[in-house]
Amino acid sequence: MRVGIPRTLSYFTLYPLVQPFFEGLGVDVVVSPESNKDILDEGIKETVNDACVPIKLLHGHVAALKDKVDILFMPRLVSLDGKNTLCPKFLGLPDMVRYSIKGLPEIIENRLDLKKGKLELYRFLFRIGRRFTDNKLLILRAIWRARYNFMHYRKLLLQGFTPIEAFSLLQKGHNAEVQPQKGQIKLAVLGYPYTLYDNYISVGLLEILKSYGVNVVTPEMVPKQELQRMSKKFNKNLFWYYSNCVVWACKYYLTDKSVDGIIHVTAFGCGPDSMTNKLIELETKADRKIPFLTVTIDEHTGEAGVETRVEAFVDLIKRKKGIL
Amino acid sequence: MQVYLGIDVGSVSTNFVVIDEDGNVLVDLYLRTRGQPIQVVQDGMRQIEEAVAGKNLEICGVGTTGSARTLTGVVVGADTVKNEITAHAVAASFLVPNVQTVLEIGGQDSKIILLRDGIVVDFAMNTVCAAGTGSFLDHQAARLNIPIEEFGSLALQSRSPVRIAGRCSVFAESDMIHKQQMGHTAPDIIAGLCDALVRNYLNNVGKGKEILAPVVFQGGVAANVGIRAAFEKALGVEVIIPEYFSVMGAIGAALLAKSAVKEKGQTDFRGFAISDMHYQASSFECKGCPNLCEIVNISVDGEILARWGGRCGKWETMRKTG
Repeated sequence: MRVGIPRTLSYFTLYPLVQPFFEGLGVDVVVSPESNKDILDEGIKETVNDACVPIKLLHGHVAALKDKVDILFMPRLVSLDGKNTLCPKFLGLPDMVRYSIKGLPEIIENRLDLKKGKLELYRFLFRIGRRFTDNKLLILRAIWRARYNFMHYRKLLLQGFTPIEAFSLLQKGHNAEVQPQKGQIKLAVLGYPYTLYDNYISVGLLEILKSYGVNVVTPEMVPKQELQRMSKKFNKNLFWYYSNCVVWACKYYLTDKSVDGIIHVTAFGCGPDSMTNKLIELETKADRKIPFLTVTIDEHTGEAGVETRVEAFVDLIKRKKGIL
Repeated sequence: MQVYLGIDVGSVSTNFVVIDEDGNVLVDLYLRTRGQPIQVVQDGMRQIEEAVAGKNLEICGVGTTGSARTLTGVVVGADTVKNEITAHAVAASFLVPNVQTVLEIGGQDSKIILLRDGIVVDFAMNTVCAAGTGSFLDHQAARLNIPIEEFGSLALQSRSPVRIAGRCSVFAESDMIHKQQMGHTAPDIIAGLCDALVRNYLNNVGKGKEILAPVVFQGGVAANVGIRAAFEKALGVEVIIPEYFSVMGAIGAALLAKSAVKEKGQTDFRGFAISDMHYQASSFECKGCPNLCEIVNISVDGEILARWGGRCGKWETMRKTG
C-alpha cells in the first residue's frame, strides 16, 4: 500500500506528523517531487483559471502522484489551532481536485477541525488508521510515534531551522551538523509555509537572501504562546489561520526589535493576503523604523524582478547600518 | 588622471559616463539599446575610448547597472554589478545632497525612492506591467507621428487636457484614439496622457509613500517637460531635474565602482580592446531536471566567459572549475 503526499500546502506543516504515522501503520509514503516547471505547467492546465499559484501547484503535485500511489492524503483542513479557520481553498481542496483531475486514486479526505477539541487530532489520525488496519494497538502506537516526531519538529523550528532543514535533521537523526546563520543583518520573511519554503515558486528567495549574508527568521520560528500574546494587541483577528500567523509574527518581530527589515511574500491573487499585506504594511509604517518590502510571486518566473528588489532592499538596510 | 566608468544598460537606452575622483562628469553618452546589449556596449566603449583619448585619463574602475547589468559586467570586467535602484539613489543623493524623493521613469520600469538624511528608507518599483513608462510614450509618439523630443513641449501648449485612462496602456491607447476621433487637438490629448501617466505612477508606484521636497525626477522620461509639469501640478512642489537626468544610473554605477575599487585595490576592467573582441551569447535548455532552465553562455573568441540562468547553479560552477 502506498500513500501519496503532495509536497505543497499543508506538507510543510503536517508532514513530520503524518509521515511517521503512516510508516507506523506499515504503509509506504510517497511524496511528490520538489516543485518544478513540469509540475507547475501541469497544474496550470488542470486548475480552474482564477485560482492562486499555490493551488495550481497543488494540482500539479497531485497529477505527478496519481499514477504512482494507491491512495492520496489530502484531508479537509478546517482548523489547526481550534480558533481560526483555514482559507476556503483548504476546506474544499479534495472536491476541487477531484473535479479537476481525472483518474485519481482514492482520497483520504478526513476532516480535521480542532475546534472540536484538542484530542480531535488523535481521533482524526485514528479514523485514518482504521482505513488501513483493524489493529487498534498498532494505530495507537503509530500515533504515539507521530506525536513524538512532531513535537521534535516543532522544537527544531523554534531553534531557528526552516521546515526543510528540520525535515533533514529529523531524517538524519540528531547527529546532523547544526549550522548557525552567520549573516550581517537579520530579516523577517513573512508568508505562508507553502510559498516561503517552496524554492521553486519563491524563485529561491531564501537562498538569494542567504547569498547576500542575511539571517532569515519566519513565522514558523515564533513560539505559539508568543503568537497568542500578539493576537491580543489587535482589535480584531483575521478570519484565516495562516494569515493570522503571519500578522502576529509580524507584530512579534516588530516588538522584539531584533530584525532589520520585514519582507512579505504573497501569491498574486491571494484573497486573504489583500488584508494581510495591508495590515503588515500599516504595522511596519506605524513602527517607522523597520523597512518593509512586498514580494509578489506568480506563475511567470520573474526571477530578475524579485532579485532586483531584494538586492536593493538588502542594500538599503546594509547602507543604513553602515555595513556597505 | 584617475577616472571611473559607469554603464547602465536598460531596455531602451544604454548610458555611459566617465567621472573623475570628485564625481564630476567628464563624458556622458546616451545610446539606444535596440535589443542588442552586447553590440551597444562595444559601440559605446569605442566612443568612450575616442572621448578619453589623449587626455591622460586612466579608467581605474567600472560599474554596471540596469537590467543587462550581469551580462555587461562580464563583457567589460566590472568591479561592481549593482541593481538600478541602489545606483539611482546613490547618484541622486550625490548630486542633490538633501534629496528626499527620487522619481525615476525609464524605458520599461518606473520607481520611486525615498531618502532621509541621505539614506534610502523606502522604495517601490512598478510590477510586471510597463504602463506609463518610456516605451509607451515612444509608441504613442510614433503613432501620432510626432518626434518624441517634441512630445513634452506640445503638451505644454494645451489649454484643456482631456481625461485619459492611465491604468493600462492598452486602454489608454483606445481612449486616445477615441478622443482624437472626437476632434480634440493633439496638444490636449498629449497633455491628458501626461496627466494620466503621472496619476497612474502616483497611484501604483507611489502608493502610500510620503513624497517630500526636494523631489528629483530622473530617467529618460524626465526629458519630457509635459510629464514634469504634470508632476508639479499633482504634487504641488517644484520638481528638480538634474543636469544628467538621463544617465543617472550610470553615474551611480561609476560612484559605486569608485568605492568598490578603493576596497579591492585594483580593477577588473578588461580594457578598451573588448570592443573588437568577438562576444557570443548563446542559450540552451538544460535537460538535467524537469525545470528546463534556460542557460545562457557568454563566450569570447570561442572561450566560455560566463554562464547563468540555471536554478541549481551547476552550470555556473562548471565555468569556475573549467
